[in-house]
This record gives sequence, structure tokens and C-alpha cells, in this order.
Amino acid sequence: MATLSLRHIQKIYPLRDDDKEEKKRKRRKKGEEPEVKKSHNLKITDEGVVAVDDFNLEIDDKEFIVFVGPSGCGKSTTLRMIAGLEDITRGELYINGRLVNDVQPKDRDIAMVFQNYALYPHMTVRKNLEFPLEIRNTPKEEMAQKVEWAADILGITPYLNRKPKALSGGQRQRVAIGRAIVRDPQVLLMDEPLSNLDAKLRNQMRAEIIKLRKSLNTTFIYVTHDQTEAMTLGDRIVIMKDGDVQQIGTPQQVFDQPVNLFVAGFIGMPQMNLFDGELVERDGKYAVRIGETEIVLSQDKQRNLADANAKPQKVIVGARPEHIILDGGNGPLIEGVVDVTEMMGSSVHLHLDVNGKDCVIIAPRLELNAGHLTVGSTVRFTLAPNAVHVFDPQTEKNLECR
Amino acid sequence: MDTQLKKNKQNPRKTAINVLIHVLLAVLAVVWLLPIAWIVLTSFRAEPGAYTTTVLPQEYTLNNYVKLLTDRNVLDFPKMFGNTLIISIISCIISTFLVLSVAFSLSRLRFRFRKPYMNMAMILGLFPGFMTMVAQYFILKSMGLTEGQSIRIGLIVVYSACAGLGFQISKGFFDTIPRSIDEAAIIDGATEWQVFTRITLPLSKPIVIYTVMTSFMAPWVDFIFAKVLCRANADQFTVAIGLWNMLQKEYIYQWYTCFAAGAVLISIPIAALFLYMQKFYVEGMSGAVKG
Repeated sequence: MATLSLRHIQKIYPLRDDDKEEKKRKRRKKGEEPEVKKSHNLKITDEGVVAVDDFNLEIDDKEFIVFVGPSGCGKSTTLRMIAGLEDITRGELYINGRLVNDVQPKDRDIAMVFQNYALYPHMTVRKNLEFPLEIRNTPKEEMAQKVEWAADILGITPYLNRKPKALSGGQRQRVAIGRAIVRDPQVLLMDEPLSNLDAKLRNQMRAEIIKLRKSLNTTFIYVTHDQTEAMTLGDRIVIMKDGDVQQIGTPQQVFDQPVNLFVAGFIGMPQMNLFDGELVERDGKYAVRIGETEIVLSQDKQRNLADANAKPQKVIVGARPEHIILDGGNGPLIEGVVDVTEMMGSSVHLHLDVNGKDCVIIAPRLELNAGHLTVGSTVRFTLAPNAVHVFDPQTEKNLECR
Repeated sequence: MDTQLKKNKQNPRKTAINVLIHVLLAVLAVVWLLPIAWIVLTSFRAEPGAYTTTVLPQEYTLNNYVKLLTDRNVLDFPKMFGNTLIISIISCIISTFLVLSVAFSLSRLRFRFRKPYMNMAMILGLFPGFMTMVAQYFILKSMGLTEGQSIRIGLIVVYSACAGLGFQISKGFFDTIPRSIDEAAIIDGATEWQVFTRITLPLSKPIVIYTVMTSFMAPWVDFIFAKVLCRANADQFTVAIGLWNMLQKEYIYQWYTCFAAGAVLISIPIAALFLYMQKFYVEGMSGAVKG
């Protein structure tokens, strides 16, 4: 039973004194404006670097929320603010309706799984699991019972008397998860728990987290930079970039209706293909034009664009690889030359050169076997009218959602 | 065939280098061990006096030890030994606690005075401690800690007082413990104090042992401050002063071999402490975190 609500959460890291002085000196020397940090496009105000800006989210009981975004986007910072490991600069954080901005982590009834496991190396697995209970003065019997329960769920019973260093990476991560669930927290926070595991183990653990979720009555908040994890695990996904929330929605929503170019490019594997094009209106119907090719959009898209009052303009047209139709449709088709073919087993990924831009399409294997998709050959294709996205080239926003 | 040839060529060179290294190590071992062997031998020597014509004693005896421990009229060695032991143990406990907690605070907590404090400690550490001995004497005198039994308290204060500056090594070690372990413990419900005692200290056993050893050794072997504070109060003497007195003109002929025996005896608590502490040396951090 835990609902969370994050209202206008903001995190600003004050600039260090030496940074400030350096800037002053530079300004004095060259008479220039101070340089903005280049690595991320984080906003810098007089107060400092804005790591998370105006984060708003209502989380339902037992919901599985995933924060996803490239490194440095503020997703871990937000998680750490919820955990209480970082101060909240501005905004309000409520857990079950209680304002917890100034509540100690131990009194928030949350648990957290760290990316690097953070097990206590001097304690056995059993002691590791007991630690959170022991520190809360749980009676011995109850403690043993709970440890057994957690160990059983995670399949680590045989290792209870080992030290963490005698465990493999996957086993250590299980212990870390066990330590988090053992006291039945209201909210379970996970900070990239799988990113230290190898690909096979990661898939396995992902499935286990889904199972675990079913057996626990807990709200989950999960941080990852892997869009596959986000899509498969989350009830809702929060996509972040440079401290700003880009979109919040179900996996289906963010996949089908990305609000901007960033979300479109971040979600989906392989990435969405982008073409320079034009939005035109013909006989009251919207169509996109890429070179000579014109694609009249589907009913839904027509309605959405009309609702958003879209005007004909230059646009960036996005289409996912799976929404590209080879040799389909009437009229002129888009042409591309096959650069690289990637054999994926059941299908083939073709990298095309379309007017100097890279474009990936997924072709069934039969096509390749038929022998007309070799490197250097020309491919003609069109886009599925119901799955084309149009983005404003300046604001990068999806024109359907204005 | 080719590799065989290479091996044969390299072997003599390797052997030569090995021989050289071992000869050097043997010489160093002799240089280090000789004084200790010599003092142990001297402590069993029957002939009195500092100057003898032979390297090895002509006759062996236990009388030096007996005299040292029983002759309590001129130089009361058992008394000094007890004095020093009490002072050392108490200062050891106080300063170990101070050193470790200062190091933990500087490593883990962030506060405004942190950087200035570390810089200040660095600069203060550059000056030799005895530079301030006169000032310390007058400060302690004004506190009434320079007469009679209170000299011991004065010495404990002196030895524990500088502990706040000796954090560098432990801080360096604490810095290597991943922060996420602390954070995990904090989320698990531990307070900063519990993190310190239940997580950081058990993970830092080697450095805790090092700190205990050094904070015991410093008062145990200190001469200068003991001399300044004790002055002529013979009943408050520590072993360092006692041993030094044995080498004074009026005592040296009678007491020289006892001095050697005393030197052997004072190394016993240190060795015992080390042997006791050694069993706490355990494997370090492996298994805590990935990579």
C-alpha cells in the first residue's frame, strides 16, 4: 500500500567554490561569458547545475515505474532523492500522502538495490539478509522466518552461509534483492540492478524480477538506461533527458506515440528511421512527402493532426524499421542502396543508404534467400500510413501532440 | 628448439640477478638484526659496564633481569613499567577512537569546515610536536596537571590531544570503501554511528590495528614529553626516562646490562599486542561490490 507523489521535484547541485572562482577569473581575463559544461546540456543557473528539473509524477500503489534515459539525465538522482540519499532542492515528495522531504531514509520504509550490489563483504549471506531486520530490532524468530522466505523466493538458500565474495555476480545480485525485500518495504527502488550482469544472466534476472513483482505487494521504481528493460518491466515509463522529463506513459504509449524526436529515437530497437520531408494537406487530408513519394496518412493520424491544428510545413518523418513496407503501395517509392546486411537469425536487418542517410529496415529471411537483397542492390519501399510520425524540425515535437 | 635456446641463455643471467638480490637482502637482514641480537646478548651478560673487550659475553646470567625487577630503591623499573603501561593503554584507547572517528567524519561527512580543516591539519603536521613542549608545559601547569599523580593525566592528555591530526592514513583507507555500502546500510535503517561501528570498522580491520599499534607505541616510547612533565618526580617516571637514566654517568657501570634487559622487556608488550592483533587481519574488501 504505497502511493508516491512527486511534485515539482528539482535538484540543483551548487557549483563548487573553485568552479565559481575559475569562472570569475576567466570572465575577467577574456571578458567572456562563462563556458557551459559541455558533457551534458544541463541547465546552469546562478544556484548551480540543475540535475533534475520540475519532475512531476503520481505513482499508484503496486505500480512498476521505470525511469529510463541516457547517462547523466537525472534518473538516478531522482531515485536517490526518493530514497533520501540526496536532498531535494525544491518540490515535494509524498509517500502515502506523507510529506517526506525531510524524513530520514530509514523512516521512509523504502528499500533499495544498488547497481554494484553493495553487499556487506564481512558478513555471510544470512547476516546480510538479517542486517536490515536486526537493526530494526526484529525478534529472532521472525527474522529467521523472513530470511528463509526471501532466500527461498530468490533461490539463494544453499548459499546462506557463504560470504559474498564466494558468490557469482548473479547470486550476489539475488542477495542484494533479498536484502531489499526481506523487510517487506512499501517502495522498492532499483538502481540499474542488472547492468553489471552479462547478457544471458540479465535476461534471466529480468524474468525473475517480473515474477518477484507478482509475489510482492510493493511499489517498484526501477532505473535503467536499457530501453528493453524499460519496455518489458514497466507499467509506466518515465523517459528523461538532461534533467527534464520527456514523456511519461505505458510502454505502448511511448512506443506508438513518442512526444518528441528524443523519445522516438530512444525507445525501440533498432532505432526509428528519420527522413527529411514535408507535411502537405491535399483535399483536406494530411500526407507526408519524402522526395517524390507521398504517403497519405491513416484515419487516426488525420484526426490527431487535425486536432492539433497542424499546418503544412517542413517536417522530420519518422518510421520504425518494422513499419517499412518493401515494394508496397502505389506511385513513386523511396529508393535506397543496401550498405550492410545483418543476419539476426529469424530476420535480416538491412542498412540502406537513402540520399546519404542511414536507414534500417527489417526484412524476412526469405527475401534474402531469394537473392535480391545483396549489398549494393537497390531497394524500393514505402512507409505504413498508420505508423508514420511527423516531427517539427525546430522544436523536435511530435506534431500530433500539441 | 628455439625457446629452449632462449631459456638456456637467460638462465645464467637470472641466476646472477637472484644471487645479487639475495646477497643484498642477507646484508640488510644482518644490519637490521644485529643490534637486536646484540642487546639481547648484552642483557644476559655477567660482566658489568658499558665497555667490554669481547663481542660475545664471557659469562651468561639472569641477574640483570632479577636486579632490574627487584632493585627498587635507585631506579624503580617495575613502577616505571606500570606507569607507562597505564598511560599508554588509556591514551591508546582515547586516541584510537579519536583518530578513527575523525578519519570517518572527514571521509564520509560533508561539512563546511572539512577542506580547511584538512589543510590546517596538513600544515600543523609539518611542525615537530616538541616545538610546543614549553607551551604545553605551561598550559598543563595552569590546569594543575604537572604535580604528583596528576602528571599521569597530563601525559595522557598530551598523547591523546594530537590524535585529531593523525587521520590521514585511516581516511585514505576509508575512502576506498565504496560509498554505496554505507548508503545501503543507511537505507537498511542504520544510523551514521551504526554505519561506522557495524560496517566501516569491521571492513577496516588492518587500519584499525595499525591505528591501535601506533597510538600505543607513541606514548610507550616517548621520551621528550615525559621528561618535560615528570622533571624530577621519580615516582612518575616512564620507562623511556628510566632507561635513559640508567645510562647516566652515576649509574652506567652498575646499570648498563640492566638497561639492556629493560630494553628487551619493553619490547614485550609491543610484540604481544602485535601478535594478538595479527589474528584480526582478514581478507579485505573482495566481494563487496562489482568491479
